[in-house]
Amino acid sequence: MTAGTLTSVTAERLGEASPQLLAPAGTPWEKVSETTVSLAPTPLDAQPSAYVRTSWAGRPHGALANVGLSAVVAGDALYVRLRWAAPEPRQAITDNDTYADACAVLFPLDGKSAELATMGDEQSPVQAWHWRAGTALPFVITATGLGTVSRVPNHPVSVGAAWDSGSWSVVFKRGLGEQGVPLAAGASVPLGIAVWSGSNSERAGIKAHTPAWITLKLPK
Amino acid sequence: MATVSSRPARQLAMVFDLNKCLGCQSCSIACKTLWTDAPGMESMWWNIVNTMPGGGTPKNVFSHGGGYKNGEPVPGTFPPLREFGEAWGFDHEATFSSGGKAAFHPLERDGSSPEWGPNWDEDMGGGQYPNSYFFYLQQICANCSKPACLEACPRTALYRREEDGIILIDEERCHGYRFCAEACPYKRIYFNPGRAVAQKCIACYPRLEAGVAPACVRQCPGRVRHVDYMDNREGHPYKLVHEWKVALPLRPDFGTEPNVFYVPPLAPPAFNEAGEFDETKPRIPDEYLREMFGPGVEKALETIQVEREKAARGEPSELIDILIARDWNDLLGPFTTNPAELDRPPRVS
Repeated sequence: MTAGTLTSVTAERLGEASPQLLAPAGTPWEKVSETTVSLAPTPLDAQPSAYVRTSWAGRPHGALANVGLSAVVAGDALYVRLRWAAPEPRQAITDNDTYADACAVLFPLDGKSAELATMGDEQSPVQAWHWRAGTALPFVITATGLGTVSRVPNHPVSVGAAWDSGSWSVVFKRGLGEQGVPLAAGASVPLGIAVWSGSNSERAGIKAHTPAWITLKLPK
Repeated sequence: MATVSSRPARQLAMVFDLNKCLGCQSCSIACKTLWTDAPGMESMWWNIVNTMPGGGTPKNVFSHGGGYKNGEPVPGTFPPLREFGEAWGFDHEATFSSGGKAAFHPLERDGSSPEWGPNWDEDMGGGQYPNSYFFYLQQICANCSKPACLEACPRTALYRREEDGIILIDEERCHGYRFCAEACPYKRIYFNPGRAVAQKCIACYPRLEAGVAPACVRQCPGRVRHVDYMDNREGHPYKLVHEWKVALPLRPDFGTEPNVFYVPPLAPPAFNEAGEFDETKPRIPDEYLREMFGPGVEKALETIQVEREKAARGEPSELIDILIARDWNDLLGPFTTNPAELDRPPRVS
């Protein structure tokens, strides 16, 4: 575990790809180190809707302080696992006024650089792998600024998620050479994290996030 | 970025005459069978008629915030499904096999008894006998000129059609955040839990494009509903809203400038203790009507009363002719095409 401001995390090389890696509590993960990443609430004044800014004024959001990050390259695929405390999980959308827990990992679309605070811009888009509790498939989204998120159809990202003993564990998997953010063995890619607490009705830009990029180093 | 919406080139408008509604829900059923019969839409009533004064749909419909005050958005809530009314089931087997002993009443999905539903206050109304009163209030999406729903969405998943001002939800862009449903002060946006998207009245735009009036308008046996573009100065909405000033927005204090207008209910005067009409006392309290339809309501009712009396004396009254709508097609503006005569029914493409 590493405390304080985090700038880089190295993915571990772990033999061949295994279906067990998509099970967040699967045996292979027991050998993988986990880094604690600090989160902060997203700034309310940057929300691209006057309604959202007004209705969340004075109402806490993004209170989750940190998330555990682990990363593995196994075979030709990257696995990224997030773990965080969720004592009041929201495992699905069950009514008009309930919201599911969710998380996402964000990258510059070119794998090199983009503005994180604005979720990219026209010149430098971002791409995220987004999981929402109660759904079996993740969304892959691209954005060129706040409020511009659009979903990518037919993407190669898969996800495994489990809630146990007060914590969510979510694993994203993508083949290194597959469509999307360039992920090459031996390279580094900036990575951001966001977590939404359904019990606090968090969704859209109302979330906890990493205010700055973390460098994810991929093993050779 | 979400932006404050600009005005469209043309605006579709409707006028509902509250003095003619029978509360038969033909409009609701026409809409239901046409648009909301798919899985995930069981509880949706894009068109609903509620008895007023009453709680409406959802429960206490006008008390959930949203809209604007002094130009600023007002935080709102999106009531749970039970406050809209779930799609109830019935235990037919128990009823038929019990020898008439088991009550035949609706059940929520979890088997419990409903606590609210569409038009829950059927015919309850307000006032004390002999001065009791009620009227039916029809609601659809009012395609507001200052749409709080559209402006609340951080994803610009809602948009307004330039050709008629109809506001639609792009379900490809909608991520089910439901800020729109919170922000709509009339609570006319629903949530499809299976698809995790917001859905609402689409003003039957595929019918409009084929020259056919919206289903709720065309199916109304009471000839309650008038439809046309507001810029048609010969159209009923323009004449009733701007010339005669007898059609008023619902809850104008919500600040969204709706494009559905209502001819307010004209009730007989109150009875006095002797059982005679007291012409100085309205049956429906002025204060309630002002809250519902704004400060123009008393003048509107006076105009209707004057014109009714003219018509009763056999004198011509354009206003009463419009409201009676002797020729049914006059209600439909430019949308008089009979859908049965089309090669294919108008559907969402």
